[in-house]
Amino acid sequence: MTTSFDTLSVGDTIDGPKFDVSRESIRLFCDGSLDYNPLHLDDDYMRNNFGKTNFGGIIMHGMNNFGLITRMLTDWAYPAGAIQRRLETRWLKPVKPGDTIQPVGVVKAKQTTQKSRWVLIDVLVRNQRAEHVAAGEAMVEFPLSDSIAA
Amino acid sequence: MTQAPTFETDFWKDANLRKVWDEIVPGEPRKTIPYKLTLEAIQLYCRSVGEDHPLYFDEAYARKTPYGGLIAPPSIHILLMFACTPNDDWMRTPGTINAGQSWSYNKPARPGDMITLHARALDKFIKRERLFVVHDNVFFNQHGEVICSGRGQTIRPA
Repeated sequence: MTTSFDTLSVGDTIDGPKFDVSRESIRLFCDGSLDYNPLHLDDDYMRNNFGKTNFGGIIMHGMNNFGLITRMLTDWAYPAGAIQRRLETRWLKPVKPGDTIQPVGVVKAKQTTQKSRWVLIDVLVRNQRAEHVAAGEAMVEFPLSDSIAA
Repeated sequence: MTQAPTFETDFWKDANLRKVWDEIVPGEPRKTIPYKLTLEAIQLYCRSVGEDHPLYFDEAYARKTPYGGLIAPPSIHILLMFACTPNDDWMRTPGTINAGQSWSYNKPARPGDMITLHARALDKFIKRERLFVVHDNVFFNQHGEVICSGRGQTIRPA
C-alpha cells in the first residue's frame, strides 16, 4: 500500500514488525549501539534491587524499542517520499529475553504549514501479552516537493 | 570499525571516574569526541534492530533515490551517543536507566561522515526518591549541518 498525504485519514494504522527478544538479540544490540550497560549483559548484577525495582535478570535496551519504532515509521514513509522528523518515546515496562514485541502506529492528526505537510502518529509497542512496553508520538513530513530529502 | 579497537566495552572500568548525580552540573558541556561513521557500523546497528531497507544496504538502489546514496537510519544516534563520548562519560555509568527520549531529525547521517556531538545536562531533579538528569544532545556532520537533536531523561544510580 502506498501512502499519500491526501489519502491518509485520522485513525489509520501502521503495523510494525514483530521482533523476538533473546539474549542474543540484546547482545547484538550492545554491539550495534555500543551500549554495554550491565543492565543488558550481567544477570548477577541484575539480581540487585534498583530502588524499589528488581528486574530479576537482564533487560532489553529501551532504545531497542526506539529503533524498532523507527524501522516501522521509515518503512512506511520512504515509499511515500515522506521523512521521519520526530520521535518521542517513554518506556512503560521492561522487556526481557523470550518476549516478542511489536510496534504499531495510529494517525492522530494531519496538518499543513506554510511550507510543508505533517502527520502526527501515536506509537505504541506491545509485548506478547498485549502489555504496553513503550509509547510515544512521531511526526512525519510529507514535503510538497520531493527535492528536499537529502 | 573506526573506534572498535579502542572502545571499552567494560562499563565498570573507570566507573569511579564518572560523575555521580551530585556532581553533574546542568548547563556544563560534556566532553565529546569526533567519530567517523562507517558503513560497517551503520549496518551492524541496522542488523541489531532488523533494519533491512536498501537505503542502508544497496548503493545502486540508494543512488537512484532523492537521497543520492546510502544513508543511516534516523535512529543511528543511539550508536552515535556512545561513539561520540569518552569512557568517563556519565551516560555509561552502570545502572543508568533511560526514562524516555525525544529526537528531531534534519539531515540523514551517511557512511563516511565525521560526526561531532554537542551535549550537556540541562536540568536535574528528584522525583519519588529517584535521581533524574535531563540531557540535550545535537549531532553535526562534517559540513556543520545538524543531523539530529534530542532530549532525554535518565534515572541515575543512587
